[in-house]
Amino acid sequence: MSSSTSDHRVGDLITELIHRLTPNPNPNTIKYATRILTSRMSPSITPDESSIALSIKSLLVKQGKLSDALSFADLYSKFSSKTGPGSVKNKWALLYLLKTISQDGGTVSDGLPVLFHPETSRKSSGNGEKDGSVGNVGNGGGGGGGGGVLLVAKDSENLRDLAYREYGVIVKEENNVTEEVLVRDVLYACQGIDGRYVLFDESVDGYILPDSIKVGKSVRLMVRKLCELGWLFRKVKGYVDESVERFCDEDVGTVGQAFCAALQDELGEYYKLLAVLQAQAMNVIPLVSEGGSGGNYLSLRRLMVWFAEPMVKMRLMAVLVDSCKSLKGGAMAGAIHMHAQHGDPLLHDFMKRLLRRVCSPLFEMVRSWVLEGELEDIFSEFFVLGQSVKAESLWREGYRLHSAMLPSFISPSLARRILRTGKSINFLRVCCEDRSWADAATEAAAATGTTTRRGGLGYGETDALESLVTEAARRIDKHLMDVVYNRYRFKEHCLAIKRYLLLGQGDFVQYLMDIVGPELSEPANTISSFKLAGLLESAIRSSNAQYDDPDILDRLRVKMMPHNTGDRGWDVFSLDYDARIPLNTVFTESIMAKYLKIFNFLWKLRRVEHALISAWKTMKPNLITSRFYSKLPKAVKFRLILTSRRCQVLWNEMNHFLTNLQSYIMFEVLEVSWANFSDEMEASKDLDDLLAAHDKYLHSIVEKSLLGERSQALYRTLFMLFDLILRFRSHADRLYEGIYEFQARTMEGEHGQSRSSKTKSSDSDSWLSESRKAIAQRADEFLRNTGQDIDAVSKEYSSLFKGFISQLPVQQHIDLKFLMFRLDFTEFYGSAT
Amino acid sequence: MPREIITLQVGQCGNQIGMEFWKQLCLEHGISKDGILEDFATQGGDRKDVFFYQADDQHYIPRALLMDLEPRVINGIQTGEYRNLYNHENIFTSREGGGAGNNWASGYHQGKSFEEDLMDMIDREADGSDSLEGFVLCHSIAGGTGSGMGSYLLETLNDRYSKKLVQTYSVFPNQNEISDVVVQPYNSLLTLKRLTLNADCVVVLDNTALNRIAVERLHIQNPSVSQTNSLVSTVMSASTTTLRYPGYMNNDMVGLLASLIPTPRCHFLMTGYTPLTVERQANMIRKTTVLDVMRRLLQTKNIMVSSHARTKEASQAKYISILNIIQGEVDPTQVHDSLQRIRERKLVNFIEWGPASIQVALSRKSPYVQTAHRVSGLMLASYTGIRHLFSKCLSQYSLLRKRQAFLDKYRGFPLFDDNDLSEFDESRDIIESLVDEYKACESPDYIKWGMEDPDHLLTGEGNASGTVDPRMAS
Repeated sequence: MSSSTSDHRVGDLITELIHRLTPNPNPNTIKYATRILTSRMSPSITPDESSIALSIKSLLVKQGKLSDALSFADLYSKFSSKTGPGSVKNKWALLYLLKTISQDGGTVSDGLPVLFHPETSRKSSGNGEKDGSVGNVGNGGGGGGGGGVLLVAKDSENLRDLAYREYGVIVKEENNVTEEVLVRDVLYACQGIDGRYVLFDESVDGYILPDSIKVGKSVRLMVRKLCELGWLFRKVKGYVDESVERFCDEDVGTVGQAFCAALQDELGEYYKLLAVLQAQAMNVIPLVSEGGSGGNYLSLRRLMVWFAEPMVKMRLMAVLVDSCKSLKGGAMAGAIHMHAQHGDPLLHDFMKRLLRRVCSPLFEMVRSWVLEGELEDIFSEFFVLGQSVKAESLWREGYRLHSAMLPSFISPSLARRILRTGKSINFLRVCCEDRSWADAATEAAAATGTTTRRGGLGYGETDALESLVTEAARRIDKHLMDVVYNRYRFKEHCLAIKRYLLLGQGDFVQYLMDIVGPELSEPANTISSFKLAGLLESAIRSSNAQYDDPDILDRLRVKMMPHNTGDRGWDVFSLDYDARIPLNTVFTESIMAKYLKIFNFLWKLRRVEHALISAWKTMKPNLITSRFYSKLPKAVKFRLILTSRRCQVLWNEMNHFLTNLQSYIMFEVLEVSWANFSDEMEASKDLDDLLAAHDKYLHSIVEKSLLGERSQALYRTLFMLFDLILRFRSHADRLYEGIYEFQARTMEGEHGQSRSSKTKSSDSDSWLSESRKAIAQRADEFLRNTGQDIDAVSKEYSSLFKGFISQLPVQQHIDLKFLMFRLDFTEFYGSAT
Repeated sequence: MPREIITLQVGQCGNQIGMEFWKQLCLEHGISKDGILEDFATQGGDRKDVFFYQADDQHYIPRALLMDLEPRVINGIQTGEYRNLYNHENIFTSREGGGAGNNWASGYHQGKSFEEDLMDMIDREADGSDSLEGFVLCHSIAGGTGSGMGSYLLETLNDRYSKKLVQTYSVFPNQNEISDVVVQPYNSLLTLKRLTLNADCVVVLDNTALNRIAVERLHIQNPSVSQTNSLVSTVMSASTTTLRYPGYMNNDMVGLLASLIPTPRCHFLMTGYTPLTVERQANMIRKTTVLDVMRRLLQTKNIMVSSHARTKEASQAKYISILNIIQGEVDPTQVHDSLQRIRERKLVNFIEWGPASIQVALSRKSPYVQTAHRVSGLMLASYTGIRHLFSKCLSQYSLLRKRQAFLDKYRGFPLFDDNDLSEFDESRDIIESLVDEYKACESPDYIKWGMEDPDHLLTGEGNASGTVDPRMAS
């Protein structure tokens, strides 16, 4: 209420004031006056109350209105003494207003004419030509260009004017171009247009004022300085034009387009400024003598001031243009971001505005990538790079970070999360044929409060971006893990691989070995993998594997590795597991190659064990009857016992080695690695974690099974031991076959004696004809030879084995103490070595 | 090709422990008393086809042959709860039904006379399997049928199925109490000969120790036969778990036994089991670690062979091999720690003439049988200390033989025709040499044992036709 009444009062006062000043006021005048009064414009002179009062008084005196001056002094003293409530507070301002009004629209202020000041522009347009302007200035000249302490009281003599005028003449003589022309030229130059005098010189790459034109040194300098803006403008404009032309090309890209658009907007602002300046440039520069400090004209110096701000901006833009010239996309955004850290708030805001626009396409890409898995990046500007690959390598190779395109305001870890999230979506879509991820994405968007529509994010909202990415990543990853675990039964397949490729399903492995064994002893090139596949099938059917999931069994197949000449089936046979999409992302070819390597090792180990066990079967307890012993001559009997015991003891040593190696493989390698893997599988939050966990699992098996690069020497020894054991087996078989033969002959001989009539005609005649002594002799010879063979094997085995266990503690990269511990449990080999 | 195992239950004791064994297997595999798979038995992973075959009507039938010379026990089975489990063609009882009268010779002789019937049954069962792994014989060595007919079967199997494994679960008589079978030492000795020569592996179940365990560990004052038999069936089923629940290792009998028996003649295995309970005590769940189990398995109180050795002799006894089958939820990483502790504390004496170690097999537990213990363990071990059991048999035999007591009972049978008692002597020699070999295993020089001067002997090759030592080497 009170404020509105006071408004009324003020309005009335203003109206009255105007009525007094102008004979026939129109509403516009009142409106205009009110606007001026409500504006915050302030004169650039020191608000000094008494001096302005003095100035008014002296003005009145000068005009010869002494009485008025006296009454003013009287009124003023009353006015200034009036304090307290209801009195006018800003007395100076009031006085200043009155004085200004009394001067009847002379120059309003001493500083630069306010741009777009309607009065000024009206005035200048009204005055039109230079003459009017001169008149105006002249008019002002009397008034000393406004009151204030700044103005020195004018001496009535014209000495100074004269001097100025002379100076003007000198200036005119020195320069064959006027400043106005130069100003206009500079303005032209600043729009990238050659002026009359100021021209762009390609050779010096800049605007120059040709030497032929005679101007003062300082003027030349100033022109050159001002023309920098022109040069900068040319650069920026050139870039924008060039880019706009190439918009259809991939060179520019959406970020580049956004950048150009932002630059163009900035240039638009700049054009506006130039238009105004150009208008002002039409005004004649008053001579110094004419007191040209006021007035709405442009001099080079004034331009200098006007250009200060655009110059800085333009310079920055030029720098940006320069640094972005060959860049695009994220790289461009990053390059621009590098300049955003600026102490000047003006520039800081400017940069922020610019970046917001520049980055918006980029952020849109992030959004659609993270929430929709879409890579809308025809110009390859995004820091995620897609390439078309087969589904199985989609995860590992399909997408990668393009670090050059990664703007520095996105941290590498965030970038990786962004990459993975979109990759997960694509993986779900392409490999898992899953559609339900979209729910997770929507949820994620809802959770962060971001809408899924375009343009939801912008530069400077890195936190929002991060939380969106985090939410999306969390949900998408969880969804992906659910799909991998539940729909594609990752763990079941891992277990299946462990069962079949890592030989965990012992009965299956045994049958397989039993039935493919004879086949694999053939040369590799004669083996039909088709037949082996059939054998695999029957091994499955006759073992507990038959109860396994048909889907799993279906993936199990025989794989024949490429063979060289002379290879046996054993060397090339493998089992393979076809993990299929999407699990072949985990079980890639190189991973499967590792599995096959492990399989081959374990298979070989099994084969050697199998051979050793069958050797035991030939020497098993109930095969030799003591009755046979009793029939032998003592010496032969001793030799027999000695040889067979050596054979048994060596067998025991080898068996000890094999069983403990197997136990080590089972407990310390397979089971422990699996237990760790299981834990890590539980803890895996995304597919990358899972892949890493699986890689670690496999790596640990490879290393601990001595299959790693660094244990090659040990591995070679191991294989030599294996080969030796296989050789031992044939010796042992031969020994016992020999023994059975003798046993049979001796017994037969015995039977033959008692039932001679029956067997006389049989083929074993040669046997019967042989005397018992002859048999014994042959037996002795045989036993000696075989015994020597076995001794040789035994010696070779001992030295090889010693070598093997002495290498164990030296393997620093893996902990083999478990194996060592098992092999030398009773310190038979002397742990000290 | 499930590597089938055919079980032969011979004699009263053999059929009793066999019956308990099948009861236990049925429980563990979720097979009903009639041989039909229970509805709940859907958790796969177990192999039933090693011990059972599936008849066309989805019945699971044990690969078991029930043989006895007197019908009492088998009749009991045929009228009992499990009557529908067995294939009735696989049951043999003597037509006369008179039994063997606790006489080895009678059992052996009758076995011979029924050879055709018995072998027909065995052949039929063997033909019905794809890849027969071997035979398991359950019997006692003291009576007549199990020992005598069992011995005959061992010889015949050895002859006919020499490539197959023959394992026996042999119950040794309780030597602490006066047996009603006075000729027990004779029967034992004669059977031991066959176990030594014609079996690949003998799991020794010493009734002395079983009784002791029942009294001391299970706190049963006068343990009944069925109570000790349940201990036996526990051991039997536990020792076959790795065959029935296949894993990475020890999935066949030959693999299991080969490592345990590096020296063919020393193929008598001792067993230990923990925790020992009978059904009614299974009321509280106890936590048991692998180390606990493995340590307890080495304690004599849990071992099912009694030690007749004097302390000094016992301290020299050595383990040739040990296999611990541990059932239940076990963290595989615990195994190594346990082995380490056992080695640190020097709880086991192993042979010195070759490398040796405790083998551990982890096996699943049947999901259908609720037990009081999360973890249980069976030890199978080849232990030189077992020779004292044989020495005891020998000394008891010698006592009897010196008095020429009860020999008449044997003279009536063909093997002992014309007062030819060389069978006894030969058996004694073989057991003595067995004891010697076990003793030799305790020495680090086992490898050279019996070879004092082989070269010298070999120079005398010309005398090869000289007298023949019936004993093997020493």
